Formats: sequence, C-alpha cells, structure tokens
Amino acid sequence: MSEIREVPPAGTQEEPADRPLQAGVQGALRRRLTETTTWTFLILLGIVAGFAALRFEQFATVFNFRNIAADASGLLIIAVGMTFVIITAGIDLSVGSVLVFSGVIAAKVMLALGGEGWGAIGAGLVAGLVAGLAWGVVNGVLVTKARVPPLIVTLGTLGMALGSALLITGGIDVRGVPLELTTTIGIGQLSGVPYVVIIAAVVTAIGVITLSMTRFGRYTYAIGSNAEAARRAGINVDRHLIKVYALSGLLAGLAGMVSLARFATTTIGGHSTDNLAAIAAVVLGGTSLFGGIGTVLGTVVGVFIPAILQNGFVILGVQPFWQQVAVGAVLIIAVYIDQLKRRAQERGERR
Amino acid sequence: MRRRWLLGLAALALALAACGGDDDGGGGAGSAEKQYKLTLIQGVKGDQFYVTMQCGAQEAARAAGATLDVAAPDEFDASLQTPVVNAVVAKKPDAILVAPTDTQAMIPPLTQAKQAGIKLVFVDTTTENGAELAESEIASDNEEGGREAARTLAELTGGKGSVLVINVKPGISTTDARAKGFEDEIKKTPGLKYIGQEYSNDKPEIAASKATAALAAHPDLVGIFGTNLFSAEGAATGLRSAGATKKVKIVGFDAGPKQVEDLEQGIVQALIAQKPADIGRAGVEQAIAALKGEPVQKKIGTGFVVVTKENMNSPDVEPFLYKSSC
Repeated sequence: MSEIREVPPAGTQEEPADRPLQAGVQGALRRRLTETTTWTFLILLGIVAGFAALRFEQFATVFNFRNIAADASGLLIIAVGMTFVIITAGIDLSVGSVLVFSGVIAAKVMLALGGEGWGAIGAGLVAGLVAGLAWGVVNGVLVTKARVPPLIVTLGTLGMALGSALLITGGIDVRGVPLELTTTIGIGQLSGVPYVVIIAAVVTAIGVITLSMTRFGRYTYAIGSNAEAARRAGINVDRHLIKVYALSGLLAGLAGMVSLARFATTTIGGHSTDNLAAIAAVVLGGTSLFGGIGTVLGTVVGVFIPAILQNGFVILGVQPFWQQVAVGAVLIIAVYIDQLKRRAQERGERR
Repeated sequence: MRRRWLLGLAALALALAACGGDDDGGGGAGSAEKQYKLTLIQGVKGDQFYVTMQCGAQEAARAAGATLDVAAPDEFDASLQTPVVNAVVAKKPDAILVAPTDTQAMIPPLTQAKQAGIKLVFVDTTTENGAELAESEIASDNEEGGREAARTLAELTGGKGSVLVINVKPGISTTDARAKGFEDEIKKTPGLKYIGQEYSNDKPEIAASKATAALAAHPDLVGIFGTNLFSAEGAATGLRSAGATKKVKIVGFDAGPKQVEDLEQGIVQALIAQKPADIGRAGVEQAIAALKGEPVQKKIGTGFVVVTKENMNSPDVEPFLYKSSC
C-alpha cells in the first residue's frame, strides 16, 4: 500500500494511479491467482478424467462436449459479469431475473414487429440488451449513490425484474419467437461449434483481456482490494462501480438473448437459481468474495465443474438428487482447498 | 503437500464415480435376447406422478429383462431439461422415455436424440411434432380428464356460482388439454359461470395467491379445478388461509400423498387420478417393441379414476393413489 500514498492527491488525473497499482498489488496478486486457478483446474481435470475412465465412449465424445458447452454458454456469460462484480467486493443476485426480463422484452418487441424477419429479431435483441443494461445501471447507481449494500440492492432488483417480467407476461412464457433466430443462432453451428458457444467464448475472451490487461480491469482489482485507497489514488470509484454493475446487467441481458434463441420461449421458471449458480462458479474459480482477487479464466473452470458433474452423473445413471449433493460438496471442497493454500502461503510470506 | 492433494482429488473423483457404478449389473433375465438399455427422463425431480410412472416403467423393464435409468431436471422447464436430455443422449441408451417440458423448446434436443439413433417414446407430455419424433405417445386422455373434473365439480357445487381453473403454464400439452376439456364441459351446466384460468407456474405459493385473489374478485366463487399437483395443492392452501375451505370446492388432478391427505381432511373434495404407472409400463413396452422392430401403437390413452374421501380406501381405487417411492 505504501506505493499508493506516493501518488499525488486526487484531482490531478486518473492515469497516475495505474503504474504503482500494477507494479505492486498486481504482481503479488498474479502469483496468487495462477495458483488458485490451477487448483480448481486440476479438480476439473480430475472430474473429467474420472468420468472418462468410467464411461469413455459415452462421455468423452465431441457430441457430448459440444452439448455441455452449449448448455453452459448462458451461465458462462452471466458468470463473466459476476466475476467483475465480485472482484469489486460486490455481489449481483439479480442476474437470473434480469435474464428473464430481457428475454421477455426482446420476445415482446419481436412479436410486436410482426414476429418474423431479421429486422424484428435485431430490434428485439437490441431491446433485450438495453433492458439488461438498464437494470445493471439501476443496481450500480443504488449501490454507489444511495449507498445501499449490493446484497440488498440486487435482492431488491431480483424481485423487481422478475416481478416486472411476470407483470408484462401475466406469468406466461412468451412464445412465437421468430423461427430464424432459433434455427441460426439458437441451434446452428459454425464448423461444428454451436453459435451460442462462440458467443460465450467471445464474451469470455473480452472479459479475460479487459480484466487482466486494461485500465478498467486494474481499477476493478484496486477497488476490490481497498476502495478507499483507490479513491485516494484518484479513481472515480462510484463511476467505475456503476460501469461494473452495468456490465453485469448487460451480460445477463445477453444471456437472456442466448436463452431465447435456444429455446424460442422465455423460460421464466428456469432461472431462479442462476444467480447462485453464477456466484458458485465464480467462487469455484478462485475469486474471493471479499474482493480484489479473481480471474475470468478461473470462472470458466468454475462454470464447467458443475456442468460436467451434472452431465457425467446423468451418464452414470446416478439418482438425480445426488447430483445436487455432489455439486454442493465439490463447491465446499474446492473453496476449502483454496483456503488451505492461502493460509499456507500467508504463513510463508510472514516468514 | 501438493502430491497428497492430487491423491485426494483422484480419490474424490473415484468416489463420485463409484456412486453410479451399479447400473451395469443386475436386471439380466438370463435370456439370449439383447438386454436393452432404457432411460426415463421425467419432467421434474421428485414429483410423485413421475415417481409412480417410474415404478411402473421399472416393473415393465424388469419383466422384459431391460435396464432402466432415470434422470430429471430440477424444475419443470425446458432450459433445465435440455442439458439432461443431452447428457442422456451422450450415454447412448437404446431408447428414451421422456416427458417433454415444452411443446416447442424441447424439439431441438429431442431431434438430436432421434438423429443419434435413439428410439423415443413420449410419456405424459409431448411436442408439437410428437407424431414424427416419437415411436409412441402415451398419455392420459387429458381432455376427457378435464371433462370428468367439470362433471365432478358441477355435482359437488350443486351447479350454481363461479368456477375457476388454476392451470400450470401454457405450452404444456397435457394441462392445456385438461383446461380445455373442463371449459367445454362446464358450459353444459348453465348455473355455473366459468371465470377463466389463472397460471401457477407449477408453484404452490402462486396458486395460493391466485386462488385468494379470485375469491376476493368473485365472492360467488364456489369451485376451483387445479390442473396439476401443485396447482390444486396451492389453491387448497390459499383457501385455507382465506377461511373459505367450506364454501369453495376444489377438484384436483392427480393423487399424490399430500393431495390424498387434503382429501382426507376435506380440503379438497375430489381428485381426478391418472394412471401414471400404466403410462410408464406402456412406455417401456412400446419402446421395446420399437427396438425389436415389432409394430407399435402410435398413441395410447390411459384412463382415469375419480377419487373421493368415500372411495379412497376401496381396493378399486387405492392402487391408483400415487407413490413417493417404489
């Protein structure tokens, strides 16, 4: 932290904050991050190897991995946004509801514009993304300007977004989304890779680059490790937090569009636990709930651990309820290992 | 340190894997026939209707020397059932018995299943192109079930007042048909005013709030038809909290343990019970016929039993009450 104090007082420019933060905090961070991410990655590999050993011909096929990736794409998009939020020591419980709300808005716009053709689809997609972004901005403004804790703000908007979606639809899934959307983006493939997977991969790549290589990413880490220090270093913390929550909302909206494209209906009932699934994925990926630590790549691993567990258990024919138990256990084990590693490391550092 | 954890991980992976290791053995009938592998994909975990269906299917599979695995999503929703279907398809069973959770959204994953060479049998629910996709579609004649409910409710209410339907959500072939059958038949009783249907989204708490709201809006409400387990159960809860249990009669669909309890306590007055075990049994039989290249029946309708407090313990009715385990 001593480096930060050397920075000239706030008000000069935002730039000077970058270099000291990058050199000091981030160097130490990066070492720690690569370690924790490696661990969860090993768990993922262990699970994959376990299933492959038991049911190689059924589990380890292109067909299966393609489907696992397509099924996980929506959650991955949400979890990328969630990673940014959690690194700022925040939380976003509203993502599942925002996803449903965006899907409803998009579907309604598409139907209002005639329900067919790429014009209607395009307008619907834009409307859905804007709806997601808007909820994100609401979250961000309430967290920063109204100073309501993120847990409460997003718990509130969770209810508001889902409630609004139910109001608009009367609790009924909106159907009749243009067929072109489903046959192309929804279930189409580009040389064997589903479009939805490509979308999720692009989002992830952008997330990785943004978090690790841009000023936006550095500010995110800085605010998460010490918001007050970041503020004194000249970072406009409020503005940055609003951007982070807006990003999470936007990505929830995008996940809503992916879901709409895949299922051609708004799947209102299917997203009540998306927020917890995303948080679990982010935490599994080595991101600290206390902020300041985390990577997008870790989150990718965290998304696929439960996805592959579910897939593998179905293939093995394990009774459905055991899957929930096992996924929960793996979450705790992964974080426990992570904690042990950190404690060992802290002891080492002190010595 | 590091090595020990790796060992731990390997042990964990093995332990997890071992949970499911027992589905290869057993079940062999010892005959020279091929031992078919079947999988039943339910609409949602833990619903007694599907459990009872599973019991019937397992019985039939055992009799035919086939194995039957069961998989199900956490909620009755296409976005959660799709990964389950995909995983089952990866497993390459010979046939899948499936209750599609959406008439439209489940078409892509099920088409993929058919393209992978797996025989499909639709149990209970179906898709828009069910006749193309599935070898056989087996369900109760749900419209008839709805009509039966209307007749029962007309009798219970004395044929005077407003009646409401609490449905699950649109796009489910079975419950839509029940509501339609009910609507058609209830018009034959001129004293009853049909005030439309509300949706519970398969959540008892929503059904409860819809029931109390309808009671507030229509003081002459005398009857509710809940088109599935949670809809009727929720409606009963709502009426109980509104203190209108005596005034408003409820006819439920299905006969799960909780509903039978409600029936015993007089909260629900009648249940239209399906025969899920028969559906499961017929599903397995049709799947195996299709696999052997024998003729299949494209559509099979299974019947109903009207359960009341009076007849629920009689030997004719008792076997049709749903089970929570086989």
